[in-house]
Amino acid sequence: MTLATERAAPAPPAAPPPVRLRRKTPVVPWLLLAGPVLILGVLTGYPVLRMLVMSFQEYERAQVMGLPPEWVGLDNYTKVLGDAEFWEVLGRSIVFMVVAVVLTMVFGTLIALLMMRLRKGLRLLVAVGLLLAWSMPPLSSTTIWGWIFDTEYGLVNNLLTRITGERWFGHSWLLDPIGFFTILTFVIVWGAIPFVAFTMYAGLSQIPGEVLEAAQLDGAGSFQRFRLVMLPYVRTIVTVLVVLSMIWDLKVFPQVYALQDIGGDREKTNTIGVYIYQMGMGQGHFGVASAIAFIFTAIMLLLSVYYVRRTIKEEEL
Amino acid sequence: MWREEDLVKKNRLVAVSATLLMTATLGACGTGTNSGDSADTEVRVWLVGTDTPDEARDYLKKTFEEQNEGATLVIEEQTWDGLVDKYTTALAGSDVPDVVEVGNTQASAFTSSGYFSEITAEEFEELGGSDLLPGFVEAGDWEGKHFALPYYAGSRAVFYSPELVEDEPPATLDEYVDQAKDLYKEGKFSGHWWPGQDWYNALPFVWENGGFIAEQAADGTWEAGFSSEGGIAGLSQVQDLMLNASNAPADAQETDLQIPFCEGKIGYLSAPTWIQWSINAPEEPETEDGVPGCASTYGGDLEAFPLPGKDGGPAQVFAGGSNIALAQKSANRELAYEALKIILSDEYQTIIGKTGLIPAKVSLAGEVPQDTSIGKAGVEAAATARLTPATPKWADVEAQTVLQTHMTRLANGDDVEQVAADLDAEIESILNG
Repeated sequence: MTLATERAAPAPPAAPPPVRLRRKTPVVPWLLLAGPVLILGVLTGYPVLRMLVMSFQEYERAQVMGLPPEWVGLDNYTKVLGDAEFWEVLGRSIVFMVVAVVLTMVFGTLIALLMMRLRKGLRLLVAVGLLLAWSMPPLSSTTIWGWIFDTEYGLVNNLLTRITGERWFGHSWLLDPIGFFTILTFVIVWGAIPFVAFTMYAGLSQIPGEVLEAAQLDGAGSFQRFRLVMLPYVRTIVTVLVVLSMIWDLKVFPQVYALQDIGGDREKTNTIGVYIYQMGMGQGHFGVASAIAFIFTAIMLLLSVYYVRRTIKEEEL
Repeated sequence: MWREEDLVKKNRLVAVSATLLMTATLGACGTGTNSGDSADTEVRVWLVGTDTPDEARDYLKKTFEEQNEGATLVIEEQTWDGLVDKYTTALAGSDVPDVVEVGNTQASAFTSSGYFSEITAEEFEELGGSDLLPGFVEAGDWEGKHFALPYYAGSRAVFYSPELVEDEPPATLDEYVDQAKDLYKEGKFSGHWWPGQDWYNALPFVWENGGFIAEQAADGTWEAGFSSEGGIAGLSQVQDLMLNASNAPADAQETDLQIPFCEGKIGYLSAPTWIQWSINAPEEPETEDGVPGCASTYGGDLEAFPLPGKDGGPAQVFAGGSNIALAQKSANRELAYEALKIILSDEYQTIIGKTGLIPAKVSLAGEVPQDTSIGKAGVEAAATARLTPATPKWADVEAQTVLQTHMTRLANGDDVEQVAADLDAEIESILNG
């Protein structure tokens, strides 16, 4: 606030030469930037630097307690990159991410289109439903999904037994990795749809009605209108949503961790986030875990940078 | 480590606590012995799970605050789930607890890396010395020094209700398996209840058949023994029970065992002895967070026997239990040590013993009530109880739930030899990694 007054003060008098004014101005934005930069530096920058340093050290539980760490160069990295389990976990995470992002985007967009056609009352109902799903803490929703698929007392097994007449009690859905990831996809996509639906709805409802009407008069069907008129309008929004969803679904943690606790084979269902946690917190190999985390961050940056750049280029053309 | 503590809710011990609350006041005798240097400070004690009875907690707090004027003692309850993860960070931070309980098989992960403050030879003698449970002292030692001391031990016994099982208890392990299979009715009644993730109960079968978990060769490398001849024989019996005697879900944890037992769906239930307080509890819980038992039906006439060995006598079972230690970064080690002294005192350990847990001191074993078959079974089983391999990396095996994972595969009907080979490979890669 003092900055604002300082800046405002010299403006009215026209007499003094403008040189002094010009010299002063750059200070303000820098000062304004200083706050966020400081916060980011403390909360993000330092931990990232620390992690980078640790990834070149032998860092175990004893080092956490103050034993000086030993520099091991690229040992942690070669260990990770030569470990088949790492590649398996990474591949699994990426496949899961692709499936989850596609489902989230498709269903999120469909719900957004639905909301555009609904009358006010119904639209409110949908919005409230979405908000409830959105505001549910991931741990709670995962636990509830776990109960629904419970082997002994679960809703799904109960219903299946009633419908098919066969005995489904005791059928374990989480034990089989495919079943595990199906349920995980439910949990994640269900939780991610509201954000995508709301954002898409906000974007789509900004498209001028005349444009759509003109397209309709020119004989464009509803799918063509969506593909050729609406999508290009909201392309930047879609880009942002896809990149964000990719990052979220790649680094997903609490849902996987909690589902593994309910049942499920950790070895065959680890995703990258849980794998890093187990390596670091669980087993105390902080050096190796940092190396994995760094490789993972690099991969994520590459993915999103590539995607963002391509979209920007397309727009320039 | 124990996971089953979750089973025992504090309120279950209400019956015992009523009588023991009176003995708790005995502790007041030692007042004023060492109040000299106690400032206005707080000692934080982290106990895990609900197995430490309320009257022991009350006794600890009361006695400590009487002996150390101006100081307060706070007990903060932790959960067994993810304990190693939690301690790894929490004990290294700036706001650390002073006294911590840790599972006996987890202790070495911390004793080996400087998390606990050394208990000097002098202090060790003062706290009980050779009277402390030797196996648990060993579990808390590192390079010849003491870092964590025994807190309590426990053992498993086989529970049943004579209402549901009329047979005489079996004399050998093979007979046990046969009986359990005879009792089994698919989908309705389990001869032996085996939730797929339960690995503690698999160990006696492996040990009795001559198998082992892992042994260290002369050159220091570890060799796992589930795929040894005895290991395969043991795991085959385990799978036989899982598939042909149990209706428990293949992926379930061994928690809340009293629920299926009270539904009358279980013949034999092999569980830690304090499960009796969960089963033989009123149908209507006495406190708000209480869990219902079935004192009026299958819980009322609860009996137990130690799991029989291959050639009769009690089988070698897993020695569960906890160690207790002083955090290296404790801000007030002197006071923390005073709390530790109370925890390992005869009075405190007697309270522990009365609930059916084995006290940390050999001389107090007689305090465990012997007037029921359950008390006897617990003590008999404890005599031959065994531990997991003594290496700090064993905690990593547990943290990765390697055994749980492979047990669920057995429960799912996978080939025993394949599962055993995979299990051994994974254990070896962690222990030798």
